[in-house]
Amino acid sequence: MNTLMDIRQELQTLASSAPAIIAATTTTAELADAEAAITGKRSPIAMARRGLGKIDPEQRRDVGILIKQVADALQHDIDQRRNELTESEETAALAADAVDMTLPGRAPVVGTHHVIQQVIDEIVDIFVALGFTVARGPEIETSFYNFTALNIPDTHPSRLESDTMYVDFGDADEGVLLRTHTSPMQARYMEQHDPPVYVVVPGKVFRADPLDPTHSPVFHQVEGLAVDTNITFGDLKGTLEMFAKQFLGKDTEVKFIPHYFPFTEPSAEMHAFSNGRWLELLGCGMVNPAVFENVGYDPSAVTGFAFGMGVERMAMVRHGIQDLRHLLENDARVLRQFV
Amino acid sequence: MKFPLSWLREFVDVPAMETAAIVDAFESLGHEVEEASPLEPEFSGVVIGKVLDIAPHPNADKVRVCQVDIGSEVAEIICGAWNFEAGAYVPVAVPGAVLGGDFVIAKREIRGLTSNGMICSEAELGLGDDSDGIMVLNTDYPQASESLGMDFASVVGLPDVFFDISITPNRPDCMSVVGLARELAARLDLPLKERSPRLEATADATPLTITIEDDRCPRFTVRTVRNITVGASPHWIRRRLSIAGMRPINNVVDASNYVMLELGHPSHAFDRQRLGDSIGVRRARDGETITTLDDLERTLVAEDIVVVDASDQAVSIGGVMGGASTEVHAESVEVVIESAMWYPPMILHSSKRLQLRSEASARFERGMDPNFCMTAADRVAELLVEHADGVAGSAYDVYPNPVEPLVIEYPLSETNRILGIDLDATTSIGYLEKLDFGVTGEDPLSVVVPTRRPDVKRPVDIVEELARLHGFAAIPGRVVSGTGGGLPPDVVAERKLRRVLTALGLSEAMTFAFIGPSDLDVLRLAPDDPRRDTIAVINPLREEEGVMRTTLLPGLIKAAAGNHARGFLDIAYFEIGKVFLRSDDVLPAQPDHLGFILTGERDADIGEQARGVDVRDGVGILERLGSATGASLTVAAANEGGFHPGRCGQVSIGGQIVGLVGELRPSVAAEAGLKGRVVMAEIALAPLLATVEPWRLVAPSSYPPVVFDLAFEIGKNVGAGNIVETIKDVTGPELESVSIFDVYSGDGIADGRVSVAVRITMRAADRTMTENEVTPMRKIMVEAVESRHDATLRGSV
Repeated sequence: MNTLMDIRQELQTLASSAPAIIAATTTTAELADAEAAITGKRSPIAMARRGLGKIDPEQRRDVGILIKQVADALQHDIDQRRNELTESEETAALAADAVDMTLPGRAPVVGTHHVIQQVIDEIVDIFVALGFTVARGPEIETSFYNFTALNIPDTHPSRLESDTMYVDFGDADEGVLLRTHTSPMQARYMEQHDPPVYVVVPGKVFRADPLDPTHSPVFHQVEGLAVDTNITFGDLKGTLEMFAKQFLGKDTEVKFIPHYFPFTEPSAEMHAFSNGRWLELLGCGMVNPAVFENVGYDPSAVTGFAFGMGVERMAMVRHGIQDLRHLLENDARVLRQFV
Repeated sequence: MKFPLSWLREFVDVPAMETAAIVDAFESLGHEVEEASPLEPEFSGVVIGKVLDIAPHPNADKVRVCQVDIGSEVAEIICGAWNFEAGAYVPVAVPGAVLGGDFVIAKREIRGLTSNGMICSEAELGLGDDSDGIMVLNTDYPQASESLGMDFASVVGLPDVFFDISITPNRPDCMSVVGLARELAARLDLPLKERSPRLEATADATPLTITIEDDRCPRFTVRTVRNITVGASPHWIRRRLSIAGMRPINNVVDASNYVMLELGHPSHAFDRQRLGDSIGVRRARDGETITTLDDLERTLVAEDIVVVDASDQAVSIGGVMGGASTEVHAESVEVVIESAMWYPPMILHSSKRLQLRSEASARFERGMDPNFCMTAADRVAELLVEHADGVAGSAYDVYPNPVEPLVIEYPLSETNRILGIDLDATTSIGYLEKLDFGVTGEDPLSVVVPTRRPDVKRPVDIVEELARLHGFAAIPGRVVSGTGGGLPPDVVAERKLRRVLTALGLSEAMTFAFIGPSDLDVLRLAPDDPRRDTIAVINPLREEEGVMRTTLLPGLIKAAAGNHARGFLDIAYFEIGKVFLRSDDVLPAQPDHLGFILTGERDADIGEQARGVDVRDGVGILERLGSATGASLTVAAANEGGFHPGRCGQVSIGGQIVGLVGELRPSVAAEAGLKGRVVMAEIALAPLLATVEPWRLVAPSSYPPVVFDLAFEIGKNVGAGNIVETIKDVTGPELESVSIFDVYSGDGIADGRVSVAVRITMRAADRTMTENEVTPMRKIMVEAVESRHDATLRGSV
């Protein structure tokens, strides 16, 4: 006969004995059995709930509250224990799935951009940020654009076959050749565009130099040209110094020393102080009025500066490359370093 | 240009300053200093002595006993040299002196007598090659007599500084000590100490006849010198020539070379007896021969120019090198010194063609001052009078059209227009006059250009002179702001391609733009393949670089083969570069191509089997490029020489064939030194990059898809990919994707046929698709595939 006293008694007994039973379970299966015994259909709590109807209605509410308190407290213990057991059982199961964490990872293969292309892109981007655009031109070129339009006289030694590679194409008298610099695009670009002109020209160039640690018959240059109504040598200096600071670091010191190129006057070489020594970085100068005349610009109306730099040289300076041939042999051990 | 600083100091009083400051001064003028290094004596403790008395050694025949006044005392020195007499001033290494760095001189007993030091030869002092006798200073260094007992090093100008300066080709006037002195004097604001040669000449008894028949010799001057004694030059001349990199020969040749280095203008000395009484200049005859001073017989062409003797025999190649037949020799007593002006381009071509580049030709090819010829000849004569006992004879000068200095009108505003700074008239005139330009007027300036300066022709050349003297460093910089435009679409698109390719695991290779003709044979191109119509390099460096590439494949094959030879077999390289194709234009067609090569294994992992690459890796990469650029790229089976007949495809973009993809034939790969399957592709870049518009976003649908599979049986040679193309072709925008997930032949499939299973995903942007809607679409797909590809549906719709 379930009396009020009996129900209270049983609940108190359960509340004091069940936590130890729950804590004593060692597997989720044991816990499930224990849970059935404590809160299941035949558990004292279920019995108490079923007996609630027979209780004096005045007491029923208090007893109901007591049942809920005991049931909630035990369910909390059970859930907590279940979490503990689930995690420890998962951990035990994962031990069999362990990986030697000192093994190398399974890395996807990622290719590299050639360092020459990287340096070209970087140089180009610096000038694009200064408001220049980009043009590219033919690698097989006429001697007119490669030499004559650039004020290089017919008798200049660079035209000789000891310096320039010619190809068997077209008018032999004119001379069709592998361009020896990117400068022909100065003339081509000015012929095709009215001033103002702000352009850089990256590309391959060719010289009859046998391969050795510092020479290659094929290498790369980036040419630059700025022509406007008010371009001065001061613009050349400031702009190229800015380039050097962007490319080599903002504390880079530069100096301009007079030099000679037929297509610029005055001409200069820019040297930069890098890694403890002065390096010849590029050639530059104010566009020679003869070049303006050759492309149909009025040299009394516009002025301009031009520059050209060797990309391999820039890459060698930047990356500590002593032998140019490393850039040319496509050795997998080298290319993978071009990250 | 190599020289010691002491030589330069003869022309400009360079104050005592750090060598680095002199280097900076030259550099600021545009004369790059390749080397500036101290010249130190290789001895210490050597003083000037005077031999007072010489007596035989009582116990030895080969040495003599000398009493030598060394200032502080008279020392008894035993000496084995016999090339001096009492009265000779000599260098004496006193006890304690050190020669050659570690040879210490001490008192020494020689056959019973004590030698209190050593009288030294050039070789012992590191001052020359002569070790036959001791140095006798009386003639070569007369100032020695005033410095008895003093340090010997100062007599020979030590310590000194060696300079090697590289001269830009526009400045022939600086290929001399005086030329560089003039520049340095201008920079340091010091006077240039120039002087004219002083000669007391007596006319030739028999005058020379001079005939100039070629206007490429615009001036020809001669000075004769008689009564000479040919012998060694004074030590200081020999030493300076050696420092400058020239070998001393004899006092006549040395004088000519010395003057070339000192004043810039080359000259040549003929033996008068061998030359005869006539000298001329004419065009060479084709096939004419001359034996030059280096004892080589040279064959000339009509473009060359020669100096001829009375019998019209060539005795010199004008401006390039003299001939052996009239060479000055030990018994020569009279010389004819020629100092001429030669047409620079002719010198350039002759010396290059003859491979005879001399110090003289290097100067003449850049252009010498025609108004300086006579001075140079006279300076040679002066040296011969002083150092070869010569007597100056007559001067001859054929100069039909004297060159007048150029006058340039220079508006001062030009300075600001080009340099961005203002220089007033006074400053500008000051700079120009320092460089020996004559200036009159105020604005514009009338600038008279010295005839030694062929580089100054227009006002902008004056700007350069002003900028050099003002100093490039003093011109303030300013950063330009361009007119914009940014990266053109083709550059943007190409960069994107490179990013996709590297993300797909390919590395960028760069190979030469020229290949060898046999590289195309390796590829087994058909005889009429247009890629065999290569453009040859006329002067290739190597035979295997003899023609311009018409395809990227050979370069990539070589790049991969080099790695295979080194044991690196897993290669994935791409290259973007030009190929060169014949055209009817002025220039060849030079389209950009993209090529790639894949070899070796993929997905290698610990304990797992890697798989080898095959052609589908190549197709997959191309498809990725197509989707990255928006190009509709398809591949169809093709047969191509050099490629695997069952694993080669033609690549098309928008229906236009743009290239190929395939595996090399195993025999082709093996011949090229490649191991395993070799996947290659090459396509023209322009069609791939044609879609340059920025991509537009397609918003993803939030409605559920309808997914179903279809399996068809088709003929083996139909090409499963065509089923996909057909389904895309006949289905509307609701088709989200169609992909092949199984290709099967064998049990249950008829011979010669394969089963192809495709998974189709349909999804509408604006609604949930219903079965009623999808069913007719599915029917259209099946009918189209069946009718176009002779296919049968397996199972039911």
